[in-house]
Amino acid sequence: MKRKILTAGAALAGLGLITGILVYFFLFNKPHTDYSKAEADFEMKAIAVFEEFRTNPELASGKYNGKVLSLTGELTAVEQPDSLTIAVFSYEEGMFGSEGVRFTILTEHAGSVIAVAPGSTVTLKGLCTGYNETDVIMEHCSLVK
Amino acid sequence: MKKATIFFMLALLATVSVSAQKYITKNGYIRFFSSTPVEDIEAHNRQVNSALDQKTGDFVFKVLMKSFQFEKALMQEHFNENYVESDKFPNATFSGKVKNLGDIDFTKNGVYQTTVEGDLTIKGVTKKVSEKGSFEVKDGKVIGKSTFNILLADYGIKIPNTVANNISKTIQIDVEVNLEKLAK
Repeated sequence: MKRKILTAGAALAGLGLITGILVYFFLFNKPHTDYSKAEADFEMKAIAVFEEFRTNPELASGKYNGKVLSLTGELTAVEQPDSLTIAVFSYEEGMFGSEGVRFTILTEHAGSVIAVAPGSTVTLKGLCTGYNETDVIMEHCSLVK
Repeated sequence: MKKATIFFMLALLATVSVSAQKYITKNGYIRFFSSTPVEDIEAHNRQVNSALDQKTGDFVFKVLMKSFQFEKALMQEHFNENYVESDKFPNATFSGKVKNLGDIDFTKNGVYQTTVEGDLTIKGVTKKVSEKGSFEVKDGKVIGKSTFNILLADYGIKIPNTVANNISKTIQIDVEVNLEKLAK
């Protein structure tokens, strides 16, 4: 009887330990989403998203913020402030200069974006984090084509 | 939120329409840092819009909350979903003035100590703040830096009891904006 209790206790302790390890690795330390491999929630022209945010920011925020977008447009420029690589689609001239969609490119995908000539039509995918009154901001982006 | 957005737009409009010389960036940097004996938590945002008007001293910045990057994905989720509710309050804004604008010589390289006063809006709550910082004039550019603390409770950010020991009640905010002349 005593042995059975000890065995059951050990099994429970082992189960608890395994649960703890799983929770630690898969919940507390779960990795960030790899947005270059994530399926897009929306595939569309970048200018269409920009226009939606510009005309009705609240509605567009509810629709696109936190979603994975695959956006096609003409590459205006690639900026490299500090350690970042930012691809820019410009559509308007506003108070902060050019306005449009700004894509922060994942480090491992920066080379492929830098190699694209301005004026080329490209599709970039990433996480939409919102609209800051001048630009639609996309993070964790990669070149689709 | 709507009021804050309109106010920010008006502040921007005032900043730009009155002045002859504006400095802007779309890649400003904001970091926040929480330190407790249990753990340190920090997040970074490098897509901050900011503008400084050399003539009026108007200084504004706008931050998308979902652009903050955390080391741990779970903490980023909790930050957006539970603490700042970034779906409901997608932006944080500051709109204010450089108090001692006259002390800054925009034609001469140097570091100028400043005080900036204005309205800081986080999670839809606006508070008056007055913080010290510096503007460094360097070869026609202006680098603004400030470090200050905010009380989470002031902005309606509640920390659940289960993680009360992990997150500091006071958060350190570091701001660095490399402002360039707006080409017009």
